[in-house]
Amino acid sequence: MNPALEPGRLFPDLELTDHSGNRRTLSALAAGDPLVVHCYRGWFCPKERAFFARLCQFQQELEVAYSRLVSVSVEPPEVQAAFRAGLDARWTFLSDADRTALVQLDLQESTDTVHDPYLPTVFTLYPDRTIHRIYNGYWFWGRPTMEELRQDLRQISAAVRDDWEGPQA
Amino acid sequence: MTWCWFALVDQAPAGLLASTAVHDLDGQRRGVLAAWPAGERPRPDAARLDARVLDPQGPRMAVSLVLPPPGVQVLFDDPTVVGAVKAALAGPAPDFVSTLSVDASHFGGAVSGVAEPWPGWWSDDPFARVFPARRLWADAGMFGQTAPPAGPVHQRYGPTPWPVEGFTSQ
Repeated sequence: MNPALEPGRLFPDLELTDHSGNRRTLSALAAGDPLVVHCYRGWFCPKERAFFARLCQFQQELEVAYSRLVSVSVEPPEVQAAFRAGLDARWTFLSDADRTALVQLDLQESTDTVHDPYLPTVFTLYPDRTIHRIYNGYWFWGRPTMEELRQDLRQISAAVRDDWEGPQA
Repeated sequence: MTWCWFALVDQAPAGLLASTAVHDLDGQRRGVLAAWPAGERPRPDAARLDARVLDPQGPRMAVSLVLPPPGVQVLFDDPTVVGAVKAALAGPAPDFVSTLSVDASHFGGAVSGVAEPWPGWWSDDPFARVFPARRLWADAGMFGQTAPPAGPVHQRYGPTPWPVEGFTSQ
């Protein structure tokens, strides 16, 4: 992994093509909210499918919690669109088919010479893309549990929402 | 500017950000879609629209316009509205989509469009589950292609219409 990727440092404002073929930046997708960036191998990996099943459950919380999720892989947009639809995922997938971001982040999984995919990695980011935590998911148990994501997003939200304590008369 | 006022009117008044005549599928003129700058509500039936959907260079668009019947009010948090937003996030993205917000609580409808409608496009509008949809053609010069909503958030930020993001946009 790029040594510049560590908690407290700024995550690069990647610009990639989304599952619908539109160019998107991470900053625009975050849109002022906490952001989870999820780099995954691809639809073919059983570990990814198991993790996506959890994320699809978790989106029911994200979608009411003013928090964002982006999934990034080397698959082309049309493959991501089909995978996303099959999952009933309602967040944005980003395609790094030419692997420019993968090289920039230095996240190539060298053991898979068939797909040359991302090393499974999850970043939790502040709205300005400052890194809060990083999870190396090469081994499945290295991935964040949904409870860990909740705790991260709670800490980030508490730090950035001026009205975290709620309005008081 | 992240949002603007929007309404279906008979004739285009002065002071608009953008406007376009709309016709039904039989070619009958059905009025004018009008957008005003954010600020004081220009007319009682005006609702807030995501201003990013406006494009003076935009092409002729097939438009699905969902408006509440007169006197009918539905909360944004109503499960039918939440379900429609979820379906909009899950389904094929139109060239543009915005809900319409009456205020911080009430759903004022939705407008979406595509330059090249696919078979059944008008039937697929998830917001037509909430209120009846008008199937229209909008002349060029008002709507453009926008990036699809990022998801998965389906909540609006205060009175701004989904998918406008950010509490600072109010």
